[in-house]
Amino acid sequence: MTVNPVLSTLIVVAIWFLIFICLHIVGLRSRQGNAQWLVRSYAACCAATLVTVAALSMWRDSGQTLLLLLFIALLTSACLFVLYVPAVYTILTSLSVATLILLRRAGGRLTEKSLYDRFATRGLVQQRLCVLVDAGYLVKDACRFRLTSRGRALARGFAFIKRFWCLGPGG
Amino acid sequence: MTLIYLGCVILAALIWFATSVDLGFLAPSLLIEPGWLDFSLMLFYFSAAFFGGALQLYNLADRGFSLRILIDVEETDSDAVDADWLVANYAGGRGLTWMYGKRIEGLLETKFVDRKADMIELTSKGERAAAVLLAIHRFLRLEPQS
Repeated sequence: MTVNPVLSTLIVVAIWFLIFICLHIVGLRSRQGNAQWLVRSYAACCAATLVTVAALSMWRDSGQTLLLLLFIALLTSACLFVLYVPAVYTILTSLSVATLILLRRAGGRLTEKSLYDRFATRGLVQQRLCVLVDAGYLVKDACRFRLTSRGRALARGFAFIKRFWCLGPGG
Repeated sequence: MTLIYLGCVILAALIWFATSVDLGFLAPSLLIEPGWLDFSLMLFYFSAAFFGGALQLYNLADRGFSLRILIDVEETDSDAVDADWLVANYAGGRGLTWMYGKRIEGLLETKFVDRKADMIELTSKGERAAAVLLAIHRFLRLEPQS
């Protein structure tokens, strides 16, 4: 029986992507640095995907077909990654998600004031500032924070996108 | 956004059916067969580009908390800011209370919570979502967000 080369490539991509998800979950549970662990584990699994596809196709396909299969593998893996990451970050960092979880922990209801006291606070800003410092977008100077050149480029890029889409202050 | 997506999907499907498989220049070794697989991959790649690309960029620009902090620091006259300044001036001077109010309004609009007098309560939909999210947080051993 001949297996369709594109289908076998997609199966390889799916298997390696599942391995990546397992690795990422293991990293989260063992408190690895989330972003670095995410990128490293994905890069390793993506490389393994390409090697597997090349190894499986080499005896059967060559030239353009092999290139097509590698391209399909890379594109499919990248698409799965861009769908996976926002879903994960929503669960990890969204304030709306954190609010639902807090309400659940508190038996389903809380005063609006207590929610504001919990989430609209200096502590939340301080926590995000530390994340931005760790990511290299800000530098801490005594108790104040300054943009790095990387942070300035990102801020200007997104300020432009906000203006382009007429999004208002947002955030 | 959903209408834009559906419109583009319909257009892409019409173009796919109206054009020849090899587009008049592709070598046979570069064609994906059978046709249903080619069509399915086209829809998947387009959907991933839309939901993982364009829509995420839009959401990040519209609601990204960390990005808005960076933009606020960039737009201030001062070279550096502290946490207290951001609490008061987040999102172009609106402040953190405004930001969290927007989140609460979003949860109310999507009917995950109800407002009763000064209380915020989970709806049945919110209960189900919160139970799943809490289970995921526990499985991932995430600390309650402070």
